[in-house]
Amino acid sequence: MGVRDTVNRGRIVAIERPDVFLVWVLGAALVVDLLWGLATGGIAFSTLASNVWDGIMRGLVIGLAGIGLSMTYSILNFANFAHGDYITAGAFAGWSVTYLITGFGEYDLGALVLVGPKSNVTGTIIGIGVVSTPLAVLAGLLVAGAATIALALLVDRYVYRPLRDEGGITLLITSIGVAFALRYLIAFVFDSSTRTTAGTTGNPAVRLNFVDGTVRVSSHDVTLVVVSVGLMLGVHYLLQRTKLGKAMRAMADNEDLARVTGIPTERVVRSTWIIGGGLTGFAGFMLVLWKETIRFNDGWLLLLLIFAAVIMGGIGSIYGAIAGGLIIGIVASTSVIWVPSGLTEATAFLVMILVLLFRPEGIFSGRSTA
Amino acid sequence: MSDAEPAGGVEASRESGITEGEHLLTVRDVDAGYGEDLQILTSVNMFVDEGEYVTIVGPNGAGKSTAMKSVFGLTTHMGGNIVFDGQDITGLAPEDIIHLGIGYVPQSDNVFPSLSVRENLEMGAYILEEVPQDALEAVYDRFPILEEREEQRAGTLSGGQQQMLAMGRALMLDPDLLLLDEPSAGLAPDLVDEMFDRIDVINDDGTAILMVEQNAKEALRRCDRGYVLAQGENRYMDDGQRLLEDEEVRQQFLGG
Repeated sequence: MGVRDTVNRGRIVAIERPDVFLVWVLGAALVVDLLWGLATGGIAFSTLASNVWDGIMRGLVIGLAGIGLSMTYSILNFANFAHGDYITAGAFAGWSVTYLITGFGEYDLGALVLVGPKSNVTGTIIGIGVVSTPLAVLAGLLVAGAATIALALLVDRYVYRPLRDEGGITLLITSIGVAFALRYLIAFVFDSSTRTTAGTTGNPAVRLNFVDGTVRVSSHDVTLVVVSVGLMLGVHYLLQRTKLGKAMRAMADNEDLARVTGIPTERVVRSTWIIGGGLTGFAGFMLVLWKETIRFNDGWLLLLLIFAAVIMGGIGSIYGAIAGGLIIGIVASTSVIWVPSGLTEATAFLVMILVLLFRPEGIFSGRSTA
Repeated sequence: MSDAEPAGGVEASRESGITEGEHLLTVRDVDAGYGEDLQILTSVNMFVDEGEYVTIVGPNGAGKSTAMKSVFGLTTHMGGNIVFDGQDITGLAPEDIIHLGIGYVPQSDNVFPSLSVRENLEMGAYILEEVPQDALEAVYDRFPILEEREEQRAGTLSGGQQQMLAMGRALMLDPDLLLLDEPSAGLAPDLVDEMFDRIDVINDDGTAILMVEQNAKEALRRCDRGYVLAQGENRYMDDGQRLLEDEEVRQQFLGG
């Protein structure tokens, strides 16, 4: 009975929604191929596990950065394209402090403050790492958050707020302008070269045994997990349990009603920039700590993936941003099993499109907004 | 409950009916509208006494809702003045007015759908330091279904329950005056009576009510006093029963 029902349902789907059917067939084929590869030894279990782990790390960075974007979207009703460059700005501010604390007295002050634009002052040379210089890393993380908050408030006060009643499109295009201005200001001040911020020196790793090989987990991976999961739980607590968080969700639901209920909406907007900005700065710092290089367009390049994650998760939902980030990260990292590494991001976007075909409003749409 | 005796027949009560003594709310010669220059109300006069139940009726586009919104600072003020509890509130913003003891329940979209029932009520008391437990209990006593569904998301409630929640939220601050914009709109016919009963109880407990209603006959039957507005101006003012019985009002505004 059960089997026949399933087959029948399958036949109905195949006839009524051939696109859906095709996606399921393709998905099933990939799973079979993966299992076959694992069974025959064509794909090592440890390789798959390493890819998934790498994907989770990537997903955590994207998810963390996505929360800030999603928050400002749901409460202010506009997609802030400058968000990616807020990430970069936070990263440079934070790493400048980390360099300064680590190398103070031994290296040229200017080189340290500018995050070593010349290759003789790299993070590896001065020995930065969460284990070797934990305080410098922590200070950098906090400064990254604080600097991004200041930047977000400043831009809001002088650019977005005067335009708040002009509608989403005006704000969106303005934010693209802010993005370019910020990016090339960063490139002008800090130089446009790519530099290495950390290496294996201060960042010991363990190789965990996994079936037929090992999976490498570094101390920076662990730091990323601790910081991002901690912040995500903190945001969850804030939104669900605190008065401010509830007011933020109320405002995301219905701004006019929030105003007649007596919620001070401008103050909530400011708090949104503070919390969203802080998370964005943290994400920028953690991105650089994890990938161990920094460049003036890091945030901009990440922004498309962040948008993909946030849209896939259901724009406006922070849980959607986290879930979307993890899916994008894991897909991008595991797709190297089937496609050339140059196509991994394209694969992530393809999956986003497929998810949206099934759920046009995103995975978490309408749930726990803000 | 009305202690302001309307002067004579319908003709005389076309005047504001505002007496020299203190009313809880006095709207005097108010011109109001939206945006820069869209004027809806012309020289509207109204008053509500303490604990009184007043309704505003009139044809579509008469400015009923606008008149009520002007009290709560949601319109562009263009002339006249509004005094509440001895204080001039003309031109104040809603977030200031709510502190003075006026609650407002919009006609539609009047709950936060993704917040739980309880969180909606908590938001009603946002301006207070702490959520007042006695007010919360009072709302739950009045609307037991809300306590049952405390944890449920407000968006999943039925229309009638959402209307109760919206009123409950406005009652969290125990206002002296409650503004209700078409509380029966969108309700199933068998729920409309129930809704009016609840409003009666709220009023019996001492809260003055200023209500706009499309369901004019029922509203006039229930209230102490009614205003008929047309084209943004006062037309008639009298006690509810007398307006219902008035031939002219029936002909023009109540469909015979």
